[in-house]
Amino acid sequence: MSLVDSSVAGIALVTGAFLTGIAAYGMTYSRNFIRQMLSIEVLFNAVLLFIIVMSSLKPALLTAVGIIVISVVSGEVIVLVSVIAAYYRVAKSLESSSLEEEGV
Amino acid sequence: MSLETYLPFMAAITGAFMVFVAFLVVRGEDLVYSSSSLAVLGMLNALMIAILGYYLIAAFLVVVYVGAAVMFIIITVSMLGGKSPEPREEWKGFFTAGAVGTAIFLLAATVTAYLGFTRPGTISSGSVAGELLQGHEAVVGIILLALAATLVEAISIARRG
Repeated sequence: MSLVDSSVAGIALVTGAFLTGIAAYGMTYSRNFIRQMLSIEVLFNAVLLFIIVMSSLKPALLTAVGIIVISVVSGEVIVLVSVIAAYYRVAKSLESSSLEEEGV
Repeated sequence: MSLETYLPFMAAITGAFMVFVAFLVVRGEDLVYSSSSLAVLGMLNALMIAILGYYLIAAFLVVVYVGAAVMFIIITVSMLGGKSPEPREEWKGFFTAGAVGTAIFLLAATVTAYLGFTRPGTISSGSVAGELLQGHEAVVGIILLALAATLVEAISIARRG
């Protein structure tokens, strides 16, 4: 592992950790479904960075895995947004319960 | 000096921008602008992945994730109204978020130090296709079926009501 490789990997890990913290913060402080979904997407970006840096797979296989992960997450986003739109039609609100209401 | 010498500097600048844009996604007043910031975050993430040496993943992330999925989010949020009432509980989970970020970093840094990371050389699209189609045909088939079912599911949910 050269100095450049280790530096770039370290910076990517620090960035991923910051993104994870920001995503966790966004999911807990806002009670809006859309904001929580956006926070989950931030978390996905962090996880993709972690997968690439932490994996010991050979590069071609890791690229294939990355492509599969991005495809599946894109499908998940489409379903999630559809569910939010359907929920909004029924409830006329996008507010989730607070943590206190759920006993957390 | 070669371009490779500047890679850590470029990665640091990109990482700083990513953290800033992620903060905008989470804290932005208008949900439409937050969604747009998510698209910027996706592009910066693609830049970081390209700096790490995985150009095909970076291109795929821009084309499929930013170009399709995030655009879908932006359009839907625009139609639902970006300035809907949004209850916020300031500073809730701040320390939890810090603890989660630190714990994840320590875990990831330990694993990376153990496994090591080396920037790959040139990865041809042929070798990636070979990995997917030779020995992983069943996986690819299941994923294609699952994605098709996902699209049908999304359409049926969105049309309901």
